[in-house]
Amino acid sequence: MNRELEHSFVELLEKHQNIVHKVCRLYTNNYDAHNDLFQEITIQLWKAYPKFRGDAKFSTWMYRVGLNTAITLYRKSKRSIKTQDFENVQFKIKAEDYDDTEEQQLKVLYKAVHQLNDIEKALVFLYLEDKDYREISETLGISEVNARVKMNRIKNKLRTILNP
Amino acid sequence: MDELDLLKKDWNKQPDEKKLSIKDIYPMLHKKSSSIVKTLFYISIAELVFWILINTIPYVTSPQYKERLNFILSEQMVTALTIFSYAIILLFIYLLYKSYKTVSVTDNAKKLMKSIINTRKIIRYYVIYNLVMIFISSALALVYSINHDPNLENISKFTDKQLAIFTIVSILIIGAFMLIIWLFYKLIYGFLLKRLNRNYKELEKLEV
Repeated sequence: MNRELEHSFVELLEKHQNIVHKVCRLYTNNYDAHNDLFQEITIQLWKAYPKFRGDAKFSTWMYRVGLNTAITLYRKSKRSIKTQDFENVQFKIKAEDYDDTEEQQLKVLYKAVHQLNDIEKALVFLYLEDKDYREISETLGISEVNARVKMNRIKNKLRTILNP
Repeated sequence: MDELDLLKKDWNKQPDEKKLSIKDIYPMLHKKSSSIVKTLFYISIAELVFWILINTIPYVTSPQYKERLNFILSEQMVTALTIFSYAIILLFIYLLYKSYKTVSVTDNAKKLMKSIINTRKIIRYYVIYNLVMIFISSALALVYSINHDPNLENISKFTDKQLAIFTIVSILIIGAFMLIIWLFYKLIYGFLLKRLNRNYKELEKLEV
């Protein structure tokens, strides 16, 4: 029974692993930290899996567990601290970085998103994943109105970061 | 088009980052978690053991301590106090167990944070309880020693003013010792839960 459960879980995770990778990409700055967070999210997903009932989509359930792990449960390991935080150096945005070409704009935008705080990142992540405000509010435990208000503030904040 | 829509367009275009095979994922299930809930759990167990030892070791290992305690308090009092302290320990174990059971990674972010903060509060109450008990018993032991301990007979030659100063200084020293332990806890939990507290405040701020 346990083997079957394990097998079905690993198959599902393998299929939807990109969701976890995206969370890791948003919340970590380097390769080691990315792997570390991926590992922790996997453990949390696996621990919670026996209680997973098929009434929610596996992917929807993954968003919640993934974000909860990244925002709340994850404790940076020593391994990831030792690695040089190269992004901190890279992510300082200068006004001259902001260029009209779309590619350049995107690069700067990703940098700007990395400068947001944990909660703002979670909102941006769910927004980018095309989740509606109802789902965003349910995942974070805030009201739908406040999720909307916060999202608008984040958009303004990004605009300010991009056009200092 | 606003900035985030531009980002969304690109985000959805990104190719699947399929890095891990089924074979890679299997061993990951059995690795040890390093989540703050697990750390908090170990700390709470350590707290329980630490304070149980602090309260029990002198009584078990030192016959003089036991003798003196039995001299100050009647046997019934000692038994009553022992039962009381173990009842409190059991109560805290029960509360902690109940609290840990409510921590669920599948709750919404705010509820999850709240349940972790509640668990941490129970540990804090346990620490406060122990510190208060130690403070009270140290103060009582001090007063008793001043009045009855033959080793402190010099004290009987003190004037009232000297005695008052001696008592105040002793209580201050005990207080300072308690304060150091308290700050030590603040430091441990502050460090462990810094990020959680910050994120919880951020979510709270949204609801104002």
